Amino acid sequence: MFTRLSLLLAVLMFSIAALAADNQYVLGVDGLACPFCAFGIEKRLNKVDGVTDIEIDIGDSVVRVTLQEGKTLTEEQARQAVKEAGFTLRSYAEAEGGSGGRDSQ
Amino acid sequence: MLKLGKWLGYSAVAILILVAILVWAGGAVNWNQEPPYELAQHWGEKGNGPAQFNDSTGIAITADAVFVADARNNRIQVFDKQGTFKRAFGNKVLGRPMNMAIAGDRLYVPDYFKDVIHVFTLDGEYRRAIAAEDGLNSPGGVAIRANGTLLVADTYAQRVVHLTPDGNVLKSWNGTGIGAGDFNYPTDVAIAADGGFYVADGYNDRVQQFGPAGEFIRKWGGPFGANIFGPFKGWFATATSIAVGADGTVYVADFYNDRIQKFTAEGSFLTAFGTLAQGPGHSEIALAVDADGTVWSANFAGNRVEMWRPAGKP
Repeated sequence: MFTRLSLLLAVLMFSIAALAADNQYVLGVDGLACPFCAFGIEKRLNKVDGVTDIEIDIGDSVVRVTLQEGKTLTEEQARQAVKEAGFTLRSYAEAEGGSGGRDSQ
Repeated sequence: MLKLGKWLGYSAVAILILVAILVWAGGAVNWNQEPPYELAQHWGEKGNGPAQFNDSTGIAITADAVFVADARNNRIQVFDKQGTFKRAFGNKVLGRPMNMAIAGDRLYVPDYFKDVIHVFTLDGEYRRAIAAEDGLNSPGGVAIRANGTLLVADTYAQRVVHLTPDGNVLKSWNGTGIGAGDFNYPTDVAIAADGGFYVADGYNDRVQQFGPAGEFIRKWGGPFGANIFGPFKGWFATATSIAVGADGTVYVADFYNDRIQKFTAEGSFLTAFGTLAQGPGHSEIALAVDADGTVWSANFAGNRVEMWRPAGKP
């Protein structure tokens, strides 16, 4: 009985953890090598509600944005933030493991 | 037949003129060129410990110390000139520190995220933040005039703004474009020997020079300083920092070309030097010049400080 209860609790906790997982997005933006640009994009994405982390990957020319549980970054929000920073959004995708799964190139 | 020969003659002359313009604009015709500098010393690596950097974006010096803006670690690190770590500060207030300036016993740090100029003592004590009365928008660089007023490269506002120490706007040079006095993400300002100033006009790939009263004097960088980038002498691929030597010469960080270029006060090319970046990033992003002409640079991709001296000089 105790084993079954433990198993049930474990499954429940796993499910809650999965539901509480942060949402991650990958934005394709060219010209990120210069911090005067990269920091400009970061600054604007930081204003989006729920953003907890932004990682700039110069090699792949992408910005990885993490939002807290329940928060989302729409393609329009991403496009607007990148545009305000002086760039064009090349691609938008929800990272593997995030909820949803929309891709736009 | 005679007509054809005439046209061929005109074409040859036109081609010759075009080649001459390109050669001139490329810096090949230049009587003032100097030998290059050599790397005399360097230190630093990626990380968040002492003498480690995570995106170094600014550098300033005194007679015996080197101050480095360690942007993603939200701090300023201080070293002696042999590279020994002395202290770090600013962690509680800094967002993204950029091209700094030292005047008297104060360090001025433009904050790209917080839209202010932070003022510290050289020991690292925080004094205050200067905000422009009409607001800054990602200031990338600052220079301090002899009277204590500030010239700020207000990068995302596409302007250079002259501020009192209290943040009142005395004058503003505005405008996006490639014309004289227009800007395209200006990144830094340096005071000229005559009391005027130079602007690293970042994405216009050029330098603009203004006189003591703020009047436009000249621009240079590629053909006619008209936002044409390239790797040739006197051309830029994003100018990210600017400094003036004791003799009035002008040094410019030419970021995407991984080099620093040196010019006369009037913009004639003298020499170029730098560390070629390994990997996807680029190197020479910020610089400062000692009284003896030693150049200190922040290598962005290499996360290190570099010291440069004219080749052959001990």
